Amino acid sequence: MRIVFCGLGALGSAAALLCRNLGAELALVDFDRVESKNVLAQGFVKQAIGRNKAEALKLQLANFYGIKAEAFGVRLTEANVDALCGPADLVVDCFDNRASREVVSAFARRAGKPLVHAAIAGDGSFGLVRWDERFTPDAEDREGQATCEGGEHLPFIGLVAATLARAVQDHVQRGEKRDAMVTLQAVTATGR
Amino acid sequence: MMVTLNITLQGVSADYALALDGEVSDREIKSIALEVVRSGEVPGLHIRDLAENAFDNYVVDRFDTEEGGRRIYLRPKVPFGATPCRVSETP
Repeated sequence: MRIVFCGLGALGSAAALLCRNLGAELALVDFDRVESKNVLAQGFVKQAIGRNKAEALKLQLANFYGIKAEAFGVRLTEANVDALCGPADLVVDCFDNRASREVVSAFARRAGKPLVHAAIAGDGSFGLVRWDERFTPDAEDREGQATCEGGEHLPFIGLVAATLARAVQDHVQRGEKRDAMVTLQAVTATGR
Repeated sequence: MMVTLNITLQGVSADYALALDGEVSDREIKSIALEVVRSGEVPGLHIRDLAENAFDNYVVDRFDTEEGGRRIYLRPKVPFGATPCRVSETP
């Protein structure tokens, strides 16, 4: 099985690391570079600063866990989504903007690929893991709304990323498509 | 029609059984939620002086259950992004 992780920010980097023992091929897609502030809230180590995120995570998986992965340090667009996600058996969306989510969603629906999304509220109090059949991306409340770059919501990010990784695991192992809501109070299954 | 309205607010999520006469708008759902949270009718989610605009930027999701029922989720937005975009208002 080939799993393509789209977006390696706080959610994507953490979830990909938690999926390292599934026995699947991991493909990592992100155009961005690791910055020093990312170390506070994302799954990158200090030595990765300056590297492309996909390449950095590929190195971490190899060096720390002996896990091979493929890295695509490019921006996913309508022009390349078929090439990047076409070989996937499962696509995982952890993008941080609605436009990119819509590109990968349109691809998945067109190609009939399983796609699971994960997203967090700006205040770090609520998260969603939802399969594409039931997912519509939300717009920001306001332009330039802050993400979790400062690390303030790192524990909650971990909770949502773990919930996403569990959803991926359930799909890989049993073909299930479980949705979940994550709050400060609990992780609640909401549908499949 | 009995539906389950799930309200997530300030990191807490709770269900409320709601009797509806057909479809209702997002605005009506938010209004109902405001009242039931203020009145203490939602288990574990009682905020007497909840602000009038508490649910303004919330999203309403509607799903049919496998058992033939309906669940409505009133939840915070999950944009998690810093890309400039236009905000559209829900009805």
